[in-house]
Amino acid sequence: MAKVVIIGAGFAGHTAALYLGDALGKDHDITVVNRQDYFSYIPSWVWVGIGHMAPEKTIFQLEPVYSKLNINLVHGKATEIHADDEFVIAEKDGSKEIVKLEYDYLVIATGPKLNFDGTKGLGPSGYTHSICTLDHAIASRDRYFEVVERLKKGEKQKIVIGTGHPGATCQGAAFEYITNIHKDLEKQGLRDKADLVYLSNERAVGDFGVRGVHAKYKNEILSSEDFMGAIFKNNNFTVEIQKGAKEVNEKSIYWENFEGEHGETSYDFTMLVPQFLGQPFKYVGKDGEDNSEKIANKAGFILVDGIYGLPYPSLASNPDAWPGVYQNTNYKNIFAGGIAFAPPGPISEPHTTPNGTSISAAPPRTGMVSGVIGRVIAKNIIDLIKKGRMTHHERMSHMAAACIASMGDSLWDGSAATIMMYPVVPDQRRFPNEHGRDLFVTHMEMGLAGAWMKRMIHTTFIHKLQARIGWKIIPE
Amino acid sequence: MNITKSDWKMMNNKFVQFFRFIVLNLKILKAVDRSKRS
Repeated sequence: MAKVVIIGAGFAGHTAALYLGDALGKDHDITVVNRQDYFSYIPSWVWVGIGHMAPEKTIFQLEPVYSKLNINLVHGKATEIHADDEFVIAEKDGSKEIVKLEYDYLVIATGPKLNFDGTKGLGPSGYTHSICTLDHAIASRDRYFEVVERLKKGEKQKIVIGTGHPGATCQGAAFEYITNIHKDLEKQGLRDKADLVYLSNERAVGDFGVRGVHAKYKNEILSSEDFMGAIFKNNNFTVEIQKGAKEVNEKSIYWENFEGEHGETSYDFTMLVPQFLGQPFKYVGKDGEDNSEKIANKAGFILVDGIYGLPYPSLASNPDAWPGVYQNTNYKNIFAGGIAFAPPGPISEPHTTPNGTSISAAPPRTGMVSGVIGRVIAKNIIDLIKKGRMTHHERMSHMAAACIASMGDSLWDGSAATIMMYPVVPDQRRFPNEHGRDLFVTHMEMGLAGAWMKRMIHTTFIHKLQARIGWKIIPE
Repeated sequence: MNITKSDWKMMNNKFVQFFRFIVLNLKILKAVDRSKRS
């Protein structure tokens, strides 16, 4: 009987758990360690953050799902990984009981450590808000309601939404939040009193850390820069890009831009996405030594089968540098998925200012990408247990992704920007055009249909992730 | 790129958007299919 331990029940970890439980749960021992006893459907937190969705509609309890699939749940926090001796130490939530979980295969899919400390004054313990956890989204919603009350009294308010670190990712969430705020204020007749500012570390609007997207539109090639730029212009947003936030106080965000100039952006309410790091586990070797360098990089992300250390031009021209099976090369029974795996480098061209500050949008590994990686890892572990060899692989340079960025949740007059790209990491060898993507599949459009898509995906994904009838035919 | 009045009308026209909804679903399935093949 094989023992599989999965750390983290986000998109990657939970998807892996479903496939593993379904295939192996009856005959093998599958255990998930998660800090919460519920699954969080993060993409809908932009709606929680403006009070358009109840928080409980974005979560569901894990225990009933795992019981169906014979998966054990440890509600707690994994603290130590003993890779040589093949066990994990976890601390249970509440009782603080320490448990030792032995494994034959380990999947690390923890999601990010939100590095609010990376920017002085950032985060709930500082001056800014976030929608990166459910509690943060609720706090953002409450602060947003206060701003709305002020607007109703006729006060002007400046709302700044964006990234809070020069190396932050997840610009899509910031885009969705600002456009949903715009739509909400417009409906309340308050939009003219609010100044909405999008502050980002992206090289260009619509870069999203994936070198932008280019798609056919009206017989021309439309760039995401033009597409997003038109949305921003139409919504009358102030756009401040190529800026890495370095410090925040109670009134202003202090940044450095691509030219190395320093400046500030004042705010009344701000939601800034922090830098993401890997979870800081204690890695213990056979003799008790620290063996972290064999498993994780300095940022805490798990090293897998990618080619690391390539300079950007080499990486950009070598899509095979991206991992395919998400397996650690030193410990072949350790896999990592979602945000937890270390990408070989950025997808978008990084920038270093004359002062030496790196301002680069990090590669996104959330949502669909995370789910696909979770499935690939699970299928390979099933293969290893049943056949002794892996048969699945999927690099981000072979992977398609769809991003439906809500711009108003109403099913009657809402909207969303639907962006599909294939592959996520451009591959000019397979797609010898300027953009390295399949222009037949890669697509961008905006409209009410996107709002329907977003709501449909919320419902169908929660259905799938609860392992309800037909869950396997719903794609990640 | 400018969003014209005609574009806005299309984006909010329920019949046009119902058609786009079907097209988007097919496009996502196509994208997923490409992914699953690798």
